[in-house]
Amino acid sequence: MAHLVQAIALGLLIGGVYALMASGLTLIFGVMQIINVAQGAFLVLVAMVTWWLWNRTGIDPIVASLVTTPMMFGLGWLTFRLLISRIRGSSPSMSVLLTFGLALVIEGVLNLTAGNKFKSATPAYFEESFRVASISFPKAQVFGFVAAVGVLGVLYYVLNRTWTGRAIRAATQNPAGAALVGVSAAGTAALAFAIGSATAGVGGSILSVLYPFFPASHYEWISRLLGIVVLGGLGSLPGAVAGAVILGLAETLTATYGSLGWSTLVFYLVIMAVLLVRPQGLFGARLREDAA
Amino acid sequence: MTAQPPRPPASQSPRARGPILAMALALVAALALSACGQRPSETAAGEVTRPIVIGVSLPLTGDFAQPGSEAKRGYEIWRDMVNAKGGVLGRQVELKIVDDASSQDTVVADYTKLITQDKVDLLLGTFSSLLNYPASAVAEKNRMVFVEPAGGAPDMFTRSFTYLFFAQPATAPRQADVFVNWIKSLPADERPTTAAYPSQDDPFAHPVIKSMQEQLEALGVETVYSELYPADTTNFQSVASTLASKKPDLVAQGAVFEDGVGLVRSLKQLGFSPKMLFQTSAPSNSSQYSDGVGVANTEGVFYTVSWNEKATTPLNAEFVAAYRKAYGAAPAEDAADAFAAAQVLQAAVEAVGAIDQDKLRDWLHANTVRTLLGPLSWAANGEPKGSFLLAQWQSGQVEVVGPPELATTKTVVNPKPGWK
Repeated sequence: MAHLVQAIALGLLIGGVYALMASGLTLIFGVMQIINVAQGAFLVLVAMVTWWLWNRTGIDPIVASLVTTPMMFGLGWLTFRLLISRIRGSSPSMSVLLTFGLALVIEGVLNLTAGNKFKSATPAYFEESFRVASISFPKAQVFGFVAAVGVLGVLYYVLNRTWTGRAIRAATQNPAGAALVGVSAAGTAALAFAIGSATAGVGGSILSVLYPFFPASHYEWISRLLGIVVLGGLGSLPGAVAGAVILGLAETLTATYGSLGWSTLVFYLVIMAVLLVRPQGLFGARLREDAA
Repeated sequence: MTAQPPRPPASQSPRARGPILAMALALVAALALSACGQRPSETAAGEVTRPIVIGVSLPLTGDFAQPGSEAKRGYEIWRDMVNAKGGVLGRQVELKIVDDASSQDTVVADYTKLITQDKVDLLLGTFSSLLNYPASAVAEKNRMVFVEPAGGAPDMFTRSFTYLFFAQPATAPRQADVFVNWIKSLPADERPTTAAYPSQDDPFAHPVIKSMQEQLEALGVETVYSELYPADTTNFQSVASTLASKKPDLVAQGAVFEDGVGLVRSLKQLGFSPKMLFQTSAPSNSSQYSDGVGVANTEGVFYTVSWNEKATTPLNAEFVAAYRKAYGAAPAEDAADAFAAAQVLQAAVEAVGAIDQDKLRDWLHANTVRTLLGPLSWAANGEPKGSFLLAQWQSGQVEVVGPPELATTKTVVNPKPGWK
């Protein structure tokens, strides 16, 4: 029994962290129908900057996200203005190519500047746990989970309770209608891209503590994140959270009760099963053009 | 935004045709000329001035970027040392290193191009069994000696290749022997009674653990856990939770790197410290490993390794000094292995006195080469005939604890202390 509770606790904690990492990807897709393949590279970039700050100044990696979040907001905004805005209106596959190119550039720059070595921020708590009865809650994961809940809460609030958020959602749901009532499509898209990129600020900070990483780690992360948002429904924030929690639980429960070798595979089987029944994903809305 | 008329592609523009024609002509001329240059020269004088070109493809990006870059350093340090001493056969050595991005397809294309188009004089191997498996087939087909610095998976040597030489002391299944021998040397009451064997499904890690499990089971050590996991596994807390409930005396993990760090962290987080911890290659990554798990947690961790910084083998001290000077850190095993592969090739070329692939092959099959990994010699299929070193982290340093004749210390930390 304790074993089961432990597995579920670990799965939920990991799921929360995954949700945070996937939130930016789904937000950007929701507003712009752009699949930002560079989101994984953004995470690794932040992890590298966080590691550097931690190594030089001893600043706590999670606190360092106060620096990296605005940095990623700025980088996201620039990326949109300089690159993405030029391919607006062309086929979505162009955005995949463009952002993949961006991911390769980030990987290359990190290789040249930071070197091709595994890095890992190890603040005092990195391998410690909180213990309740016989159940362990690894501290880094707990902090990551709390930060994830915080960031997702803020995102949810911004999207649903502020005019900026309403403008973003309006531009998602009906770009022509939003433009008619005075929402600037380009401005809103740039803002959404910047916010989506900024979520990598906290996500990357946590990544630097939880997992050893090196410049090419972004491939592993982007494939996992894409799986999560496809399962949850591209563009849906609650969907990303649900997909992430399912991935976390699928990994830990399969590893505990099935076989470790199947733990990553089971999640993809779940995706296939869900997509057979609900092609739009768990929380995805069918668009008018899908019905045609 | 105003729409702009699409620009015509450059090749269709009449004005662009002139320069393109000229370019094409220049290219044809360049190709023809370079082909002339590569024809075997009849005069000895021409041979002396032309450098010996060694073709290598390495995973400088992608999954194996880390060991691939270390191998590059090893090769380059060897080249600089050799050239400083006048080269090989009186000719300077030039390395032509290309990046295969850790892809099996690219590595095949790379070696094919190095052999058929660049017409390199000699080849050196790439990194990991995964990449050396197809790469060595290209070399074999073209009858070129292929000395590989890594790639000890058993499948490498079931193909009866005769141009393949693995420049490490032993293949993967034989790597664990030195650890098993150490356990055999213990009094019966100090041996582990139960053991757990999680391993990455990696052609270099799993055979080590599989062979160890078979040998320890034969000694009466009960297996309580044995699982394979894919390379993209990142969360090890569930494994640690299961191990914590089974409490094996020995945990032996087939760990490449991140998975090794991940399991140590998770075992500590879940509050379980086995009496003995063995990991295949993760702990050999010196400071990257101790930074990843925390230096206090390295105490007592065992691994087997092909090379040690303190060894008194030929050119080892010079290699360590050159590496430290160039990169300001302790050399990685992968760099030393690459250096050894180059030493093997150099020894053969100098003994034969010419670049004749068949003679080089025959010489290597018949002789023992003294390298910084110790003496290396090979069976007919390219499999080495030596044994690995058993290393252990002690007080933040790596010591060799077996085999006894090569040990750098008499102390063995056993049992492993609990996590700090």
